[in-house]
Amino acid sequence: MRLENSWLLAIKALKKNKLQTLLTMTGMTIGVATVLIMIALGSGAQTAIQDQVRSAGMNLIVVKAGNYAAKQDKPADEAIEYSAFHPRKRHGSLLSAVYSPSRGAHLMRVFHPEDDPMAIHDHPVARQRLGDSEAGLGAAATLTLGDADEIRKMDGVQYVSEGIHENAHVAAGNTRWFTRMHGSDVSQPLIRRSWTFSHGRYFDKGEQKKSENVMVLGQIVSQKLFGDANPVGKTVTIWNQSFKVVGEITSTNWMVQPAAGDDQFDAIYMPVTTVQKLLNLSKLNDITITTKSTGDVTPVSKAVTKLLRVRHQITNTSPDDFTVTSEARKALQGGGMRPDVSAAVTGNVSGLEKVTLSQLGKTLDRASETMTALLTSIAAVSLLVGGIGIMNIMLLSVSQRAKEIGIRRAIGARSRDVLTQFILEAVTLSLAGGLAGVAIGALVSNFISGILKWSTTISLPAVMISFGVSAAIGIFFGYYPARQAAAVLPIQSLKQE
Amino acid sequence: MASVISIRNLGKTYQMGDIAVHALRSVSLEIEQGEFVSVVGPSGSGKSTLMHILGCLDQPTKGEYFLNGRNVSDLSDDEVSRVRNQQIGFVFQGFNLLTRTSALENVELPLLYNPGKEISSGERHRRAMDALAAVGLKGREHHHPNQLSGGQQQRVAIARALLNHPTLLLADEPTGNLDSRTSIEVMNIFQKLKEERGITIVLITHEHEVAAYGSRIVTCRDGSILSDLPTESRRLAHGELAEMQVPTGDMA
Repeated sequence: MRLENSWLLAIKALKKNKLQTLLTMTGMTIGVATVLIMIALGSGAQTAIQDQVRSAGMNLIVVKAGNYAAKQDKPADEAIEYSAFHPRKRHGSLLSAVYSPSRGAHLMRVFHPEDDPMAIHDHPVARQRLGDSEAGLGAAATLTLGDADEIRKMDGVQYVSEGIHENAHVAAGNTRWFTRMHGSDVSQPLIRRSWTFSHGRYFDKGEQKKSENVMVLGQIVSQKLFGDANPVGKTVTIWNQSFKVVGEITSTNWMVQPAAGDDQFDAIYMPVTTVQKLLNLSKLNDITITTKSTGDVTPVSKAVTKLLRVRHQITNTSPDDFTVTSEARKALQGGGMRPDVSAAVTGNVSGLEKVTLSQLGKTLDRASETMTALLTSIAAVSLLVGGIGIMNIMLLSVSQRAKEIGIRRAIGARSRDVLTQFILEAVTLSLAGGLAGVAIGALVSNFISGILKWSTTISLPAVMISFGVSAAIGIFFGYYPARQAAAVLPIQSLKQE
Repeated sequence: MASVISIRNLGKTYQMGDIAVHALRSVSLEIEQGEFVSVVGPSGSGKSTLMHILGCLDQPTKGEYFLNGRNVSDLSDDEVSRVRNQQIGFVFQGFNLLTRTSALENVELPLLYNPGKEISSGERHRRAMDALAAVGLKGREHHHPNQLSGGQQQRVAIARALLNHPTLLLADEPTGNLDSRTSIEVMNIFQKLKEERGITIVLITHEHEVAAYGSRIVTCRDGSILSDLPTESRRLAHGELAEMQVPTGDMA
């Protein structure tokens, strides 16, 4: 007999005893739902912990233009721009002692490039322009949109946001407020995981591409300019230019409350391209990078340094013209260690912060894995109970239906036809119960995450495992009763009821 | 004529604890195709055991049983199931229909367990409908056994027994639960089957009046065959029904 016919028989048999079927299924449903909810809660907790690690900035790398730490005894050879001598331009020229490897020490007239404010600088390498003033130059303009795009393509990089920061007067009508202006990438809200939008949204890719005059307000700025009203759609002016407000951000983290002057919520956000246009800039102040995992921080930091040195044409003997910092490195350096010692440690023991971070991450992961395992094993017990319920009912069913089995055998059913039918009945029970369990589990998980604000994840593997386990339980607990059924002799059909 | 049933020195011994019960001592019997044999005997005579073995529901402890020339006394479960499905039709005293299952589905069962090639559900349906119509149950295909009278239930059972065109119809006290008129109706069907289709019928009964519908009466006692004689005054159900001078209901 074909399997589909056996299945039809099994379903018909189950339909004949609806209440019994329903109750047995309920046992299975509860089991599967519990497993699913427990897995969801466990992995939800795991995600929550990882989120917290990330929102603590553990996977954050910031590349700043300029290098405060670089120490130089003398300007690099190529640092100074030797300007052509212009006899007519007497002013501004000066006689200096200059050393150059080719000519030795000599006197010549030079311009320092920064001396002439009207000079047009067209140098491929920032250091040529910066000259001997490069060390510790915070406003150094060494990072470009191109640098950021190259970093985006690197392995292990999650999000990249270009940054330009300036102070600005913002105005709405007669209300004015002096605040921080940030140019950023659309991915900024994903990097700042503790942000939430109290109104509207962040600017989008299209707006960034076209450098449109759009703006997202921090909650403090929004309050100062518009009170408690929804600022979305309103207009804010900066230097007589109008910007449309598209959103308002606030904090989700109770530890970080918006406050005046906090640089995050007392701030406005615009596409980096818009800010470049507004300020007539082509460079960036910094690039913020997040890595996919905390363990990627060190390799990505190194790769970024290497990439930027190549892109900025920095020779082996010269220091970086940018500074790569990670929260992890900062945490290590801020630990009361003497700066030179910590510099030596972080400089010489490569990947030290990775060790501590990955250890921290592993410890947290292990803790939540243990929790998930515990919850799942509790749930597995209820699944086992469901399975035993099925076995119990199937055994009862075999003895109740001995005559029916006998009739089928007398008519020509082989003992394996009977075996198949009973196994399929058990599997149908457990699968239908399991399916209902998946639905209920998903609903309850959603409910829990909605009410308790506890993130739960129903993953496809979890659903598939629950389903597979219920089928396996059906076969496992259905096999013995089915064997009993198959062993019923055809002569049973002749017994009187 | 070829023997449908040929049994030689058939015996069945049940072990009840320490005591061996000889339900069937040593029985030999030949039944030709198209015969209508009544097996009579009191309770404990071994006729039921004989019937179980003839129906391949049970296997003998000794002797041989040839059904249509094939030794079926020691077959595997699959083979013996196939024999029951293809060559034997059963009609029981208790009708033995599946409860809470429509007449149609009951009749379809043998086709469902057909070991040969798969029969489509449309084909099963059609053949079961035809079989029900043939026993005069047209229009009651979707009734459940508890919605049918005893006679109707027995006719569903007969329709089911005949669906795979068996060579042998085994009837175990088929009239035991029926009133006399319905009993005659059932016997009428049996006699018509024998006449029209040449089906071999073995009827087990303890009532001599019922046994008289057969063409040959085998009498059992204490696990042996006491006598095996042609019926002296054979009853003809068709004539009896006509004499009753009442409408024959929905009998065809």
